[in-house]
Amino acid sequence: MLYRLKKEVSRSVKGAVILSALGLSALYALPASAAPTISLLETGSTLLYPLFNLWVPVYTKMNPGVQITTQGTGSGTGIAEAISGVAQIGASDAYMSDAQIKQHPNILNIPLAISIQMINYNVPGLNNVHLKLSGPVLAGIYSGKITNWNDAAIAKLNPGVKLPNHKIIPVHRTDGSGDTFIFTTYLSDTTPAWSNSVGYSTTVSWPAVPGGIGAEGNPGMVQALKTTPYGIAYIGISWKKPVEEAHLGMAMLENRAGKFVLPTVANAKAAAGEMVNKTPADERISLVYAPGANSYPIINYEYAIVSKTQPNAEVAAAMRKFLNWAIDPKGGNAPHFITAVNFVPLPDSAAKLSRKQIAEIK
Amino acid sequence: MKIPVFRAGLIATASFLPLSLIALIAFLAVYSWPAIQFNQFQFLWTNDWNLGNLYGNPVTVHGAQIMPGAKYGIWFLVVGTVVSSALAMLMAMPIAIGAAYFLSEGVRKSWAGPLSLFVDLLAAIPSVVYGLWGYALLVPLFGQTIFPFMAKTFSFIPFLKGDPGSGYGLLTSAFVLAVMIIPLISATLRESIRMTEPELKEAGLSLGLNRLEVFWHITLPKLKTVLIGVGILALGRALGETMAVLMVSGNALNYLPNNIYAPISTMAAFIASQLDSALQDPTNMAVEALSEIALVLLLITVVVNFAARLLLWMARVR
Repeated sequence: MLYRLKKEVSRSVKGAVILSALGLSALYALPASAAPTISLLETGSTLLYPLFNLWVPVYTKMNPGVQITTQGTGSGTGIAEAISGVAQIGASDAYMSDAQIKQHPNILNIPLAISIQMINYNVPGLNNVHLKLSGPVLAGIYSGKITNWNDAAIAKLNPGVKLPNHKIIPVHRTDGSGDTFIFTTYLSDTTPAWSNSVGYSTTVSWPAVPGGIGAEGNPGMVQALKTTPYGIAYIGISWKKPVEEAHLGMAMLENRAGKFVLPTVANAKAAAGEMVNKTPADERISLVYAPGANSYPIINYEYAIVSKTQPNAEVAAAMRKFLNWAIDPKGGNAPHFITAVNFVPLPDSAAKLSRKQIAEIK
Repeated sequence: MKIPVFRAGLIATASFLPLSLIALIAFLAVYSWPAIQFNQFQFLWTNDWNLGNLYGNPVTVHGAQIMPGAKYGIWFLVVGTVVSSALAMLMAMPIAIGAAYFLSEGVRKSWAGPLSLFVDLLAAIPSVVYGLWGYALLVPLFGQTIFPFMAKTFSFIPFLKGDPGSGYGLLTSAFVLAVMIIPLISATLRESIRMTEPELKEAGLSLGLNRLEVFWHITLPKLKTVLIGVGILALGRALGETMAVLMVSGNALNYLPNNIYAPISTMAAFIASQLDSALQDPTNMAVEALSEIALVLLLITVVVNFAARLLLWMARVR
């Protein structure tokens, strides 16, 4: 919710930046030596937003000829504005659908890093315990078939835990969201009934669960869960700090091997190790529900959605340079950036594919 | 020679507003026409908003390109919008009338000025500020303390009993809307009360009526049309409110509230929250369906506003 405010603010900031850029370029136009400033606009995923905010000040300091403005607006907006050309870089946790690619064949989906999704809950007394949950149980909760915390299906996964006899309040995203995309992919992969009825997408028709709440953006999810005892929500890992500060519970999820694992970087790396070598040349692939005993089941590529054709060669060159820097283990994928948001760095083989795609930006 | 130019200029500027309203309605109707054709009348009466499988391939149904499984029904939005606004009016009216009476007659003249300024300022606060206040303060307060208490106390009244929910929902939305429209109503009413002929009030007082009876039997009936007019304008604002409702309503999808505490969603808030999802639909049907919601909302507000004009005109004629 708050990110909408941020969006407004960043819009006006953007306006101010453009104005001052115009003013500055007018000033600098007098001495003929000054290089022209190129401004790039990044918009989209609220999960990638914290990382871009770490990247941009460092990068623009090294490259004073480029100005980059960032906005956290949701993956849906990121994809749409990259297609329309409003933004040069659309940030998305979800790759584009086949139909979208067919419609816009000159749009690239370039992974920049790997993200993890947490399943968090607010059950008074149990937030220090990592409750064990599985895909079918989550699908049951989100479709209204499992309504109470002490349901037999949850009790079976958590022997010895005293579960309260209280209604579960599922929280979902209302905006077009890559988090919804990967969460519903996990539900679809694990539960045929979910796959056949609701399916997966950046926005789905959530089954009517009386009392269920919709929240906006990852910050909205954290806030809603904080104020909703007995609620459950899916939240991107870059929001782990606010989740911990609010003392919310973090679930262990059942993976393909039937083991229950926490959303740690090590477990995400294990999952990535199983899936990354399957990545196709256009890099549109789900990393969800990987095999392997330690694999955490909900991880995904974080994409930059960009157009192959840029307005001019200077902009294209600036974008290639920035994106190549972003995936470089010594640049944007350096540990101090990636660990700050609890992401997993892009593995070498995927980085190679990303570089090949970046070279197509003309 | 100059006069026709001046006249033409006046006509052009004067006709700009009504023409832009007509152009807006015409645009929405034309833009959402594929959705109107595809949805037909069940758009209004069904509780099924489903963008379909956005990662599937578009299919053709009744001649329209849609994503597989796409269906659009907004009955839950119509109910959420109308009920939350009606409830807000129910809460706001008595308080607004009381506040207006207090400011115009119940308080010393030297205090009335500054206090009225406060009310006018309240009417000018952007709605997102009310939304944030509701989100940060009211939702936790209502959800954890007040609603459970109410649900227990009124356990014999339908719609007031049952699950007290989480604080996001119908009553919270209506409360925030009411707080938003109270200053709007009472600012207008205050002036009208002040302008009631003092002779009438004096006549009432001389007959032995007390001040409350004067207000109830003489001032209020004189204000009836103004009251209805300003009430309908406030209703128009409540119906179209977006941000504040979006932040506290709980954004219910595809179900009706089973009591006063349950989550809801309204048309305006739904358009704002669903637009980026709808933009993912390669067939564009989702955006067209959203603009059909906008058309329905626009028609409702136009009707409400015309009713207000009509009533105000009647008040003036009389």
